[in-house]
Amino acid sequence: MPGHAILFPIIIPLITALAVLFVPKRAGWAKEIVSVAGTALNFFAAIILFRSNLNFSIPWSGFGIDLSLRLYQFSAFIILAVAGFAFLVTLYSTASLHAKNYAKQFYVYLLLTFCMVNGAVLSDNLIVMLFFWEGTLLTLFGMIAIGNKNAFKTATKAFIIVGVCDLCMMTGMAITAHLAGTLTISQIAITTGGLGGLAFILLVIGAISKAGSMPFHSWIPDAAIDAPLPFMAILPAALEKLLGIYFLTRISLDMFKLDVHSWASTTLMTIGAITIVLAVMMALVQKDYKRLLSYHAISQVGYMILGIGTLVPVGIVGGLFHMINNALYKSCLFLTGGSVEKQAGTTDLAKLGGLRRKMPITFTCFLIAAASISGVPPFNGFFSKELIYDGALERGLIFYIAAIAGSFLTAASFLKLGHAAYLGKGQSKTDVKEAPVRMLIPMIVIALTCVLFGLWNALPLKGLIQPVLGERLEGHNFAGLPSNALLVIITVVVLALALLNHIYGVRKSGKAIGASDHIRHAPVLDSIYDRAEKRFFDPYNIGLHIVNLFSRIASWLDKAIDWVYNVMVVRTMYAITGAIRKLHTGNYSSYILWSIGAMVLIVIFLIRSI
Amino acid sequence: MENYYLLGCIFIPVLGSFLLPVIGRASEFARNLTALIMVSASLVFSILLAGPVLAGRVITISHELPLGFNFILTADALAVFMAIVSSLVGAIIVLYSFDYINHYGNRNEYYLMVTLFLGSMMGLVYSGNLILLYLFWEITAIASWRLIGFFREKEYVLKADKAFLVTVFGALLMLLGFIYIYQITGSFDLPVIKAAFKTNPVPDIVVILILVGILSKSATLPFHTWLPDAGVAPSPVTALLHAAVLVKIGVYVFARLFIATFTIGQIWHTVVPVIAAVSALVSAGAALVETDMKRIIAYSTVSQIGFILLGFAVGNEIGCAGALLFILMHGLAKGGLFLCAGIVEQNTKTKDITKMGGLFATMPVTALSFLGCAFSVMGIPPFGGFFSKYLVFSGAANSGNMWITLTFLAGAFLTIIYLFRIFNLIFLGDAQKPPAREGSRVMVISVAALAILSIAGGILIKFPSDFVQIAVKQMMGI
Repeated sequence: MPGHAILFPIIIPLITALAVLFVPKRAGWAKEIVSVAGTALNFFAAIILFRSNLNFSIPWSGFGIDLSLRLYQFSAFIILAVAGFAFLVTLYSTASLHAKNYAKQFYVYLLLTFCMVNGAVLSDNLIVMLFFWEGTLLTLFGMIAIGNKNAFKTATKAFIIVGVCDLCMMTGMAITAHLAGTLTISQIAITTGGLGGLAFILLVIGAISKAGSMPFHSWIPDAAIDAPLPFMAILPAALEKLLGIYFLTRISLDMFKLDVHSWASTTLMTIGAITIVLAVMMALVQKDYKRLLSYHAISQVGYMILGIGTLVPVGIVGGLFHMINNALYKSCLFLTGGSVEKQAGTTDLAKLGGLRRKMPITFTCFLIAAASISGVPPFNGFFSKELIYDGALERGLIFYIAAIAGSFLTAASFLKLGHAAYLGKGQSKTDVKEAPVRMLIPMIVIALTCVLFGLWNALPLKGLIQPVLGERLEGHNFAGLPSNALLVIITVVVLALALLNHIYGVRKSGKAIGASDHIRHAPVLDSIYDRAEKRFFDPYNIGLHIVNLFSRIASWLDKAIDWVYNVMVVRTMYAITGAIRKLHTGNYSSYILWSIGAMVLIVIFLIRSI
Repeated sequence: MENYYLLGCIFIPVLGSFLLPVIGRASEFARNLTALIMVSASLVFSILLAGPVLAGRVITISHELPLGFNFILTADALAVFMAIVSSLVGAIIVLYSFDYINHYGNRNEYYLMVTLFLGSMMGLVYSGNLILLYLFWEITAIASWRLIGFFREKEYVLKADKAFLVTVFGALLMLLGFIYIYQITGSFDLPVIKAAFKTNPVPDIVVILILVGILSKSATLPFHTWLPDAGVAPSPVTALLHAAVLVKIGVYVFARLFIATFTIGQIWHTVVPVIAAVSALVSAGAALVETDMKRIIAYSTVSQIGFILLGFAVGNEIGCAGALLFILMHGLAKGGLFLCAGIVEQNTKTKDITKMGGLFATMPVTALSFLGCAFSVMGIPPFGGFFSKYLVFSGAANSGNMWITLTFLAGAFLTIIYLFRIFNLIFLGDAQKPPAREGSRVMVISVAALAILSIAGGILIKFPSDFVQIAVKQMMGI
């Protein structure tokens, strides 16, 4: 295959985006047809490129910044996954967004995002990667901002959080380049000692913020409310996870030589564990379909970071497997949310209910995806979580406990969500119908993939993930049934406990939506939840408070300097000139005295200088 | 032939500017067009000079004059690069002025001063003699003094005086530094000085004296407060001060003297970045508090100048290249921001961002241009600012001083925040009543051109970057 073929995943979406941009306004379905055709072509290209190794490089900006791309097992896998999601979500959008006046803008942003995500994944040069990676900020901003009249506030929040993290990553890259002497990713091999540690932290900030980990998460729940739904299904749920975790893996496994017992590993696992637990605690008490899902989008990243952070083969494989699984079931869940929103007109759980009969296909897809995310055997989430549990337990009991606690709460919150939205009596509008077929196809395809990746997990594990890690696995094989039976038993027990907890909660509060009220209003937790809901703990707000405080001090300092010019200098000059003016008394005798004095000084000076 | 290009580049606008009031008596339009042609002549001639210069030649014109006041013009890659940046942005600003300034009086003086201003910038850039450089430096001070106080209100004139006094105070100290150099080397000619300081760095007192001149002209802490005050000038003038001419003079002279001509003591590779860092942070903080649109953008300039100084001062190739690209990208983007602000100011009759909102609906092109230029200043790809910002950071990282690097990282965070604050308050949110109109066609084309150039500068980074690499090699003598 010619080397230039590697450019297809970048160029096809780009050209499609430009084509959509120039589609006339009154052209009916043209923009939808162009978008779907473009993403279909892109998917086709990704399939053809899969399993080939290609390199491409042309000089660009000097100083080691060459436009070099590399297609190998790992990037080909991500490209394929991105292309699949791109096609399905675009197809879905044609039905869910057609009536909206921002549809055309949305397609343009979406296609540009695919272009840049593909570019970032293919790049073999840090700065070129950052060019594409950070470029997604623009489309991110655009896609959120078009949602509704005040969505720009959320868009700004997202832009600032992600932009700040990207700048951290840029600095990390500068330091990495300084240490490694090259910007070519595949040639970098440095340690985390000294400056390397700083570089590692900065790069990890960039990677995990893209994936949506805590503490860089807080725009996601807001975007869930404000942004168009397909945005949530494609970006925070799928593409950003793929991109962030892809780069995290590259950092931790390729670019930095990490030791299993290094601080770097412990840090990653801690971030992962905290993210799992805190985000799912928030998810549990949400009363909106999309907002609840968005907290899970954050929480699930924790599992991936935890898995990769373990640095043991089973954990890494689990983390990567979880990455692809999560992208599947999470985007499927968001898509079900979108079809509920479109058909029932709301995503408020208090107003939903009984959709099982009216939207049976959506319900089935939801059921599969929810079972997957909760780790119910034999769906895909079960297998990846077991691998992560295995890895976490190997590194420390506390990490395992955090992971399993997360599972309990995940299951509990999906029982609540499913019960409130789909079961029970219908409180929502009576004339709700099943979603149109273009929305159903993506959901069905993704849900079936969830089942496939569970029942036949050798397909993704042996076909996609294990080749990525190569020699590191040394004959390990993680396909098939989990090796640790005890952990499986614990998982099943925890799931059963979650069900009991749900039944208890529903009985106690009398309604499905109140299933988590006994946890929400438990002692101690109650006041913490109150504050969290008032956004006391939002790192973005805390950060802005610090920035405001700083800027007030800076402004005061600036005013003080200005005072020196405007007041002090002026007053000093007036004082000096005033003093000199007083010497002009108009009195001849004093002028003569001055002159004589000056002459004496001159004479003394002349004598001395001789 | 190249000698004529070089002379034309400087003297067409410098001498021609005095014809403009005469032409203006006959025809307004002819005068405007002549001004644009004169400024464009600088651009065209500089581009014509780029060919031989990029091939590695240095074009010099030299005439001996008494007392060391030799007339020497030198066109090397650094000078040509700087001249192209200034005259490109300058030409767009003059074009924009057509529709901006026709509401106000004293138009003949306006075009005279603007053209003289840009012409003396060309003279300064190509000067190969310290006295010649000083001469052009002071002509820009006089032109800026007249232009800042252009509206002639008492308060405005005071602010113009302030700008003049601060920059001239700095320039006089710098002149003392030049005289000190003359005492040591016996010449004001840059090549002679370069040869004299080949082995040893210049005395610290000289560095201090010249640095005060540079910092006051480039509006760096603690000599910066005149620049936000200069926002009382007409918007194209502020654009000129910030993007094309005035504040870029200081950093250009830094590059010309401290890098290309002589070496400075090791300590200055730490001291200047520290000054730049404090300046970048304090002014970025001030930008977040201000509510006057033009003052916010002005503080942003003070902050970004810190990045340019950092790049030059870290003393390595990559930082220096980053700083040069930064001058280009910042010039384009900041010029665009001010011109957009000018459209907004003229059509809403206010500069207070808390009294605006929702202008996206009525002035979409201005809003998008503003956003594009803001992205470039923030350093977001694919805009050109991305590469310059990275290269400056890379230079700082290579110098090994991580605290400075991290301080600038904080400065870059604040840049994102204050630019979004100003954009959101002006263009988004609830619309004010009655909604303001979009600017005139010429004005809108000017701002859109700057935004498009900003994005082209990123995607086609190869061309400016190749140029800059040659310039840096020449400057550092590699």
